[in-house]
Amino acid sequence: MVTEATSPEFLAKLEARGVSRRSFMKLCGSLAVAAGLSELAAPRVAAAIENSVIGAESGKLFPVIWIEGASCTGCTESFAQGDAPDPAYIVLEMISLNYCETLSAAAGWSMEEAKEQTIEAGNYILIYEGAVLEGWDGQALRVANEPGTDILAHAAKNANAVVALGSCAVNGGWMAAHPNSANALGVQGFLKKQGIDTPVINIPGCPANPEWVTSVLVDVLLVGQLPELTSENKPKVTFNQTVHDNCQRRGHFENGEFVYAFGTPEEAAGYCLYPMGCRGPMVKANCGIVRWNRRRSWCVESGGPCIGCCVANPDNPGENWVETNTPFRARFRDLRIGGAMVQPEAIAWTVTGILAAALVVHGFGMKKAGRTDGGAPFEKEREWDMKHPNESIGIYTLDDNSKGGN
Amino acid sequence: MAHLAHYKQAHPLPMKVTHWVNLCCMALLIFTGFLIHFPFWAALTGVARGVHVFCGIILVLNCIVRIVLSFLLTSSPTGGTRNMVRDFKTYLPQADNKHQLIPWIKYYLFIKKDHPLSAKLGVPQKLSYLFVCLLIFIMGYTGFCLWVPTASWTFFAAGTSLVGGMMSMRIIHYFLMFVFICFSMIHIYLVFIEGTANAANMLAGKEHGGLVYDPERHCIIGEDHSVDAH
Amino acid sequence: MARSIIDPVTRIEGHLRVEMEVDGGVVTDAWVSGGCFRGMELVVQDRTPEDAAHIVQRICGVCPVSHTHASSIAAEAAYGIVIPNQARIIRNLVEGGQFLHSHILWLYTLAALDYVNPLNALNANVGKAYDLMEAAGTSCNTDLKSLMSTLTKFANNGQLSIFSGGWFLDGLAPEAFKLDPEADLICTAHYLEALNMQAKASEICGLIGGKMPHIMTLVPGGTAFVPTEEKLDELYALVRELRDWIDSTMLPDTKIIAAAYPEALGFGRGCGRYVAWGVFQRPNFEMADRYMPSGVVYTNGELRLEDVDEAAIKEYVGHSWYVGDSDLNPREGVTDPLYTEYYVAGTEHEENGHMVGTVNDRYTWSKGPSYNGECMEAGPFARVLAAYLRGGEKNQYVVNSLDKLMADLGLTLPQLQSTLGRVAARQVECSYIAHLMVDWVDELIAALKEGDSEYFRAPEHLTGSGTGFWEAPRGALYHTEHVDNGRITGYQIIIPTTWNIAPRNAEGVRGPMEQALIGTPVTNVDAPINALRTVHSFDPCTACAVHVSEPATGKHFETVTSPWGVR
Repeated sequence: MVTEATSPEFLAKLEARGVSRRSFMKLCGSLAVAAGLSELAAPRVAAAIENSVIGAESGKLFPVIWIEGASCTGCTESFAQGDAPDPAYIVLEMISLNYCETLSAAAGWSMEEAKEQTIEAGNYILIYEGAVLEGWDGQALRVANEPGTDILAHAAKNANAVVALGSCAVNGGWMAAHPNSANALGVQGFLKKQGIDTPVINIPGCPANPEWVTSVLVDVLLVGQLPELTSENKPKVTFNQTVHDNCQRRGHFENGEFVYAFGTPEEAAGYCLYPMGCRGPMVKANCGIVRWNRRRSWCVESGGPCIGCCVANPDNPGENWVETNTPFRARFRDLRIGGAMVQPEAIAWTVTGILAAALVVHGFGMKKAGRTDGGAPFEKEREWDMKHPNESIGIYTLDDNSKGGN
Repeated sequence: MAHLAHYKQAHPLPMKVTHWVNLCCMALLIFTGFLIHFPFWAALTGVARGVHVFCGIILVLNCIVRIVLSFLLTSSPTGGTRNMVRDFKTYLPQADNKHQLIPWIKYYLFIKKDHPLSAKLGVPQKLSYLFVCLLIFIMGYTGFCLWVPTASWTFFAAGTSLVGGMMSMRIIHYFLMFVFICFSMIHIYLVFIEGTANAANMLAGKEHGGLVYDPERHCIIGEDHSVDAH
Repeated sequence: MARSIIDPVTRIEGHLRVEMEVDGGVVTDAWVSGGCFRGMELVVQDRTPEDAAHIVQRICGVCPVSHTHASSIAAEAAYGIVIPNQARIIRNLVEGGQFLHSHILWLYTLAALDYVNPLNALNANVGKAYDLMEAAGTSCNTDLKSLMSTLTKFANNGQLSIFSGGWFLDGLAPEAFKLDPEADLICTAHYLEALNMQAKASEICGLIGGKMPHIMTLVPGGTAFVPTEEKLDELYALVRELRDWIDSTMLPDTKIIAAAYPEALGFGRGCGRYVAWGVFQRPNFEMADRYMPSGVVYTNGELRLEDVDEAAIKEYVGHSWYVGDSDLNPREGVTDPLYTEYYVAGTEHEENGHMVGTVNDRYTWSKGPSYNGECMEAGPFARVLAAYLRGGEKNQYVVNSLDKLMADLGLTLPQLQSTLGRVAARQVECSYIAHLMVDWVDELIAALKEGDSEYFRAPEHLTGSGTGFWEAPRGALYHTEHVDNGRITGYQIIIPTTWNIAPRNAEGVRGPMEQALIGTPVTNVDAPINALRTVHSFDPCTACAVHVSEPATGKHFETVTSPWGVR
């Protein structure tokens, strides 16, 4: 009975690590006792632990691999601060988070092994956080002595779907901003290059809101399907309306009540931050609805104008939120001309100013030339006609019966 | 006095109306555009967007109407005559304009002393009007790319993603407004710099005497002051 | 002789590799390699200091507030701004929220699983566990019985989720986990509570900053957050709840762990030199007078404190993946990233089922900062030492707490220079900040009552240079910038973990973490648990640690972003 429940491969693996079968079964026995089962139940627990390493083959939890790319761990942090459902519930009762560099108990080899086994078994979701760095053949990001690009490609191939979590994973995020020295790009762009066609769900945000992650997990685990996506493969339910559409200060915008400087009475009154460079009208995300940190507040409520951290075109690392939205306090992004950063407004006003000045100068010229009072006298004959008398379009020789004026 | 005579036939009433519409729409669009870009006059911002969208749609429709009218109606091909031709012909190259682009530029640069002979519209004028017509359509397109109700239509969303997102589209829309502003500045300057008779004719239909031009012979053939008020 | 490698080091922020030579059961040589290069300083080049304050937060999702704070201090120095008093208090609060968050997260979510075996908790007797709780004086907010049934259900389901491959599993290093099942059960309960409490601490940052990580309202010149009564009463409740939980849970739990692992006092000493720039401003804005004051600490016979001198800081790149081997003050930093192989070509071979080789001269993306030519350790332990050595009335809380902790555990100050000492010192600071938070909310309310309503000041001038000496939860943080007419022309960051995971210096002297690893006992080279405990005691934050200096004239980056964003 005992041997039946425990696969020979697994025992061989244990023995290779110097663990006798006996000591393994002893652990299982004590677990079973603790679990309120009799010693006889030990084989069941043994099977459970064996499979748990493999992850996908049994149990009711859906296997998930969470890989940190070139990240700041902010999206993990954000996820760990959710409460509906809270992360403890998610990782103990909803998904089997077999690999997560921030939360996993394992480290080093045992960690990589848990991932490898999950990948081999298939039928898992890959959550990838952070940018993909192609710099130095992928060595700009090194994990387990391997370039990060190889790790992603390997883990993505077998996955049911890849969740590109956070703006960095969607298109490189701030790392893709000028000069993009590590050659950052997003998961979708990278997989396309590699010819891997695993579906990608893009969840932008810096960081991504935990609600956005769990809503995707709910779709996948409870409803059993991938969420409906926009043309940028972002979940429609979250990214189909602008921040402005659902902003609590929208009423002040409509009333024309604005904050023009930090620390003013208008700010204390909670007026609209549009003149402070708020990117709400241009950025699609439902921040104002889901709010942040357990619905405690969100950017605009706290007085911070939206900086558009959800702007991320998965097919174009250059269209990342930093490049698109800096300077955050100006109404427009800067244009990079040569080495200088210029505001489009400055260019537009300069050109217009120069033209206005030129017209004034021209006007004085016209006056001096005596043309302001009805213009200069007409030429008697077109210049071209004079040079080409045979092809002349005008007939200038007036015969005697010419009519008209005095 | 070197003007050609300004006759009503140069700008029949429907053209005057569309010109008026253009003038009002553009002025309002520019003003409300600045207001939307930055709410410098906070109390008006609520109204500004409605007016902006309305004027934008009217401007595009007016442009279409004006094009259609140019095929239906007639107007005089040059100043100083009451002869009539299909209006669209006055926007396309005419014999009267032939070889006159360089002389026009030379005239405005004070290299050429005499006023070039021309059709109703000079060569640079013709080019800029055709360009403005195109600009109105591009402006309308970029505007619809930015307007929330239409921004997600595939036809507009495709353009937005082509130029690199909403922010780029806004900048393009904003830059194009300055092209309008620059055009208007030059347009108004040139209309008034040599006197107001031309504008009075266009806007109010006031006739004004001057030289008589023969569209058959493509040259000035005399003077007519019979329409001048005494 | 055997090679022992931890890669990836988990339960940290970022990517870190630790490679050790083990001889006779102890570590005899070590290489610590930062695994990721992102290029932050280049991104903020030519942008505004206001933008930079937002962008640099993205270095780290655990300590974003410290980065935006240090960046704002640097910008204010360049702009000639002294922030209003209200802004100072609000900033202390948002920074404090992050410190509490980070310290709770570190002890339970990151470090605890090196000491606590949650599966062993299944063997616990619930009744005995309650007795132990009472005896240890630790808090009891969880129904242990229902927790047991949740854990049992979890074990029965058979998937280990985040415990997959944990070193407490059979075959790895279960014998190294020494808590009783009852203590494991209590710590598991607190592990789960802590997940909730770290999020609560973050709610303070979210409340003031809009969202956390990456807050929105800490801006050069002050704060964009203006407190309303509604926000104040939320704050008032949050800081009290956190203080009470921290006092009743974290210090007692630390003592439970310390009692079970006395050997952790015997390894992980490190270089014995410490830097702290100080954190939490008092009204006079003096570095040496901050709530956690600045100081450079040496151990020469006895511990001795010096004031900070910016000119003594240098960064060396000769053992990192950058061009050249310059050793410059960060204000003159010149660097080109250039990856060369980790192992010397041709030396890679299989050992114990894994590929190993001879580590190259250049083996990390992290640079090597030094103070007066020597590597230094940064972190809460450095701060606590600085405060303890400064003493005086203002540092009374830290002095008393540390004295009490040492008395409770029967330790001397030199014994704290160890893996376990770092763990314990962090708790002293955490409790101090939790108490300060309550004071600051009261201070804010009192100032409001006085009619103080200034939160933001505009720049005096748009050209200048400034440095922000500050602290992240994991140690000394330094941002410096040159601003020309409102645009950044040079930006430099030295991050706490860069100090700690520095590679060898020009003379071949190992970095602080490498030194701390030497002598650490390792019985199973596949699961070097004591080494992992030592690494975790530094609370590494490697995504922070790797960065580049301001580019010199010869920067060679292939990718250029066009004005329209199309590459």
